[in-house]
Amino acid sequence: MFATIKNRFATTDIEVKREDLYKVVVQRDAIFELIFMLREQYDYQTLNAITCCDWIEEEHFAITYILTTSDRKQSFMVQTMIGREDAQIDSLTHTFEQAEIMERDLHEMYGIDFPGNQNLVELSLENWVHTPPLRREFDTLEFVNNNLSFREGRDGNMDVKKEMKRLRALKKAQKAAAKKAKEEASEVSDGN
Amino acid sequence: METNKHITIFHGPQHPGITGNMSVELDLIGETIQKATTHVGYLHRGFEKLVERRTVIQAFTIVCRICVPEPDPNEANFAMAVEELAGIEVSERVKYIRVMVLELSRLASQCMWLAGQSGSIGLYAVGQWAIADRDLILDLFEELTGGRVYHMYIYPGGVRRDLPDGFLRRLEKVLNHFKKRLKEYDNIFINNASFKSRAIGVGIVSPEECIKNGYVGQVLRGCGIEADVRKDAPYLVYDQLDFEVPTAQGGDVYARALVRRAEMDQSIHILEQVIDKMPEGEIMVKMPTHRKFKLPKNDTWVKVESSRGEFAYYMAGDGSEKIRRMQVRGPSLVHAFTLLEDLLVGAELSDVALIMNSLGICPPEIER
Amino acid sequence: MKWSIDISGTLSPLGILAAMMQKPNTIAYPAVKKETAVGYRGFHTNLLVDCIGCANCQDVCMNDAIDMIKTDKEYNVKNSSQCIPRIDYGRCCWCSLCTDVCPPDSLKLDEEYLGVTQYASDFLYMPKDK
Repeated sequence: MFATIKNRFATTDIEVKREDLYKVVVQRDAIFELIFMLREQYDYQTLNAITCCDWIEEEHFAITYILTTSDRKQSFMVQTMIGREDAQIDSLTHTFEQAEIMERDLHEMYGIDFPGNQNLVELSLENWVHTPPLRREFDTLEFVNNNLSFREGRDGNMDVKKEMKRLRALKKAQKAAAKKAKEEASEVSDGN
Repeated sequence: METNKHITIFHGPQHPGITGNMSVELDLIGETIQKATTHVGYLHRGFEKLVERRTVIQAFTIVCRICVPEPDPNEANFAMAVEELAGIEVSERVKYIRVMVLELSRLASQCMWLAGQSGSIGLYAVGQWAIADRDLILDLFEELTGGRVYHMYIYPGGVRRDLPDGFLRRLEKVLNHFKKRLKEYDNIFINNASFKSRAIGVGIVSPEECIKNGYVGQVLRGCGIEADVRKDAPYLVYDQLDFEVPTAQGGDVYARALVRRAEMDQSIHILEQVIDKMPEGEIMVKMPTHRKFKLPKNDTWVKVESSRGEFAYYMAGDGSEKIRRMQVRGPSLVHAFTLLEDLLVGAELSDVALIMNSLGICPPEIER
Repeated sequence: MKWSIDISGTLSPLGILAAMMQKPNTIAYPAVKKETAVGYRGFHTNLLVDCIGCANCQDVCMNDAIDMIKTDKEYNVKNSSQCIPRIDYGRCCWCSLCTDVCPPDSLKLDEEYLGVTQYASDFLYMPKDK
């Protein structure tokens, strides 16, 4: 199987993660061909999940289709990269009915467009107007600071490291002052 | 649409027969459903995003909240994914303890299902009994983990506490109680004529559809397909334990009920073996502090069998102390949309809660 | 649908009547209290003679529930910051990571878990000194 995939899709990126889990990374235009080939020839009949991971430094999303054989003993992760700007990849709804809800989920969380999916309406976020929340540039802390407030009365929090430093400096100063006072006192007594 | 003929109603989110905070919009003619649309969004807490902001160790405490009635498969999945990415090997004792916790939580979750399923057709006494029995398991959890519902016990690299003195004996006592009790449940619920007449022939799923659409758990097993992650891709020590995968024919609500009932027997059987075989050993490998524990740049897909079917996690690390991506694929995501919307068409209004409960839909894991 | 009488299915559920003779599963709450298991994750306690004010608990807390504040109570002489933790129970999730990382093991979770108050400000909880 691996040799066929390597030859046909010009990829060397096949990994055996576990006994029951393989992973392959292919070019974006070849991914559906590969999925259909796995489905027709190697019995990978079930689409278990479509996952997405945001690699913001490398400017792409890694979309992974997880396929499982009909006896459920082998899984195959088929991964491809799509650009972050105007992200889009064709829908799989015509082959796998369950892809509809998975794509709907990713559409909402990452703003990826799936041409061919008729039902990309909002799922769990109601009237969301900000950046799609699972993109890395969406900063939850900033969102919280802008929209929500902390409980009142939580003042009095000390920065412990600074406080330790201050106390140490204070102690040192006190020690030095005591030493100085002692020296002065002895000088005075010497003078007498 | 003709006027005065169609009615559109919302079933949920506050309907007592519903499985959690979700609603189904139903188009009715008379009592018959023409179209069903699932709506979620009452429970979105953004765990997948929150995990990205926390270190691995900090993130471990929120994954259990992804599914309320059965938190442990989440913890096990999270721990297994982190261990696989970081290359940690846990001891035999840890594996046995994890199996014990997972099976106990499966048993507790099936009790919860008994309560929901019987409540959905009005047999409330069964529900009260099942919840009372579930409490015995929660007492065990309280003793073992310090929490009744959210255990936060299966830690990446081990488990957080060792078994207390005499814990296995008390577990055995509870199991003996359950064995007696399950026969009574057979009499008053599974063999009950009113449950049979309501459940047989309702909500039928075909085996081909199951495989194609990725349905899992009791939906598959209720169609006569022997599918169980514990057998198909054994994790922890399930390959050393003796158990069967119960199946039933028919693919309807009653078949799924029979499967669940038989699974309770199997869980008890597994737990008895765990009591006999529990090895000695370390309960935790030495872990670095939470700011120093780093995951390499890699990704993986792990799955366990929860009480409602395959529960899987996709996890990607990026070389830092934070998790780059954790995606949850619970059994409910496909069941609540692709399957439920199909099954409800043509069903009666009074069967909605029955069908939803038999699919084991859990809204918290749809929305994460 | 053909209708026929399911005799055993109709009679066997009547076995539930036997439960009327059994003792109830519930307990009469205010009179009888349920014993909490040892090691239950309840309210925090902090032994001040041991606390060193290192703020490890604040660092590991993922919910930002812990504030390190100055105290007027008597504290450990080795407490280098002279601060002790205060916990916001509106944010705490009782995961007990803070007690895991406490170097002198002074911060602990107690078996006590019942708290009733009419003021939201009481959610800011000073761990009991024990």
